[in-house]
Amino acid sequence: MIHRPAILAAALAAVLAAAGNKRREILRRAAFSVVFFNSVVSAAYLAASMLGGNFSWEYLALVNVRVLLLACLAFLFMARANIFKALSFAPALAYLFALAYSQSMALLGLLEDFAAAAKSRSIGRASLGRRYRLAAAAGAAVLDKAMHNSEELSLAMRSRGFFEGNDSDV
Amino acid sequence: MHIPDGFIAPQMYVPAYGLAGAMWALAARRLRESFDEDSIPKLAVLSAFCFAAMMLMIPLPGGSSAHASGLAVPAIVFGPWTAFVAVSLVLAMQALLFGNGGITTLPVNALALGLAGATVAWASYRALRNVNENAALFAAGWLSVNCPALILAIALGLQPAIASTADGKPLFFPFGLSVTLPAIMIPHALVGIGEGVLTILIYRAIEKRGWTAS
Repeated sequence: MIHRPAILAAALAAVLAAAGNKRREILRRAAFSVVFFNSVVSAAYLAASMLGGNFSWEYLALVNVRVLLLACLAFLFMARANIFKALSFAPALAYLFALAYSQSMALLGLLEDFAAAAKSRSIGRASLGRRYRLAAAAGAAVLDKAMHNSEELSLAMRSRGFFEGNDSDV
Repeated sequence: MHIPDGFIAPQMYVPAYGLAGAMWALAARRLRESFDEDSIPKLAVLSAFCFAAMMLMIPLPGGSSAHASGLAVPAIVFGPWTAFVAVSLVLAMQALLFGNGGITTLPVNALALGLAGATVAWASYRALRNVNENAALFAAGWLSVNCPALILAIALGLQPAIASTADGKPLFFPFGLSVTLPAIMIPHALVGIGEGVLTILIYRAIEKRGWTAS
């Protein structure tokens, strides 16, 4: 029963109804996140099954509705739940998750700065060798920055007494 | 690559959660033995590095590019267990905060990319570094892409065998191993060449700044 497209479509409608006024945004983000992989699999299935004579609309509907349902559920969870608060039962894990997230955003910003700087200093298309050197320099700078941030974070956490008990406000 | 939700059957992802849970517990125990009080910030920034490294682009001929896996350098420098935990954290973050990858497929992705990819990169580097360090770094980069790709190709290719209707219609992923192995491995074998070259260049750059293999 769980593998019937109609049941999954009803579940998808229920999830979108539960999303309230965020339903359009959730549907848009969910569809965007699955469209590439689903299109490739669906197109390949369509071609292979047409040639093999075993095409099934039911399978195509089943897999696409299921993937969209799961993606909508994930985005609804993200909209409704605060993952950092949800991890409050394990303070160390919550700190780890929050730090990893904030540092990821910082390092992503550094990578974007690198890409913008490389673009602004290049006339025309860069050679393959130069693009490799730029990518390697960006990778090394990110690791450098990460280790520097690690030392700063350790000092900040130590100065706030994090390591003496896990009830600090870091 | 990593597999999104909806293509892997519970017959595979439920046992995979069990196996990954055991591996995460083992990794946490090993990290507690070797890490000091700085372990949380170190692990957090290493996860952030893995996240950023996955965003690096491997330049391909003709001006195009592909996403790097960024696994080999952290595995070589910090060891496979640390890289496994960091990559698992990145995959969890991508699934729970960005909606990329999947929650049901998290253990399959973590075991393939984080555990197998990092371990094989670290082991191949250590096995070959005394023969030729550049070859060792290249092999680590190439294998860090292709070993996970092989595992994910097998995981996807087994779906028709483990989850089909009585009349043989697939319920999850429609293609067997005869399709998934060449479809996934041939492009990854080529992208792995770029990853290998990038691994050499990044490692040589960080070596100058005092970071070397663990």
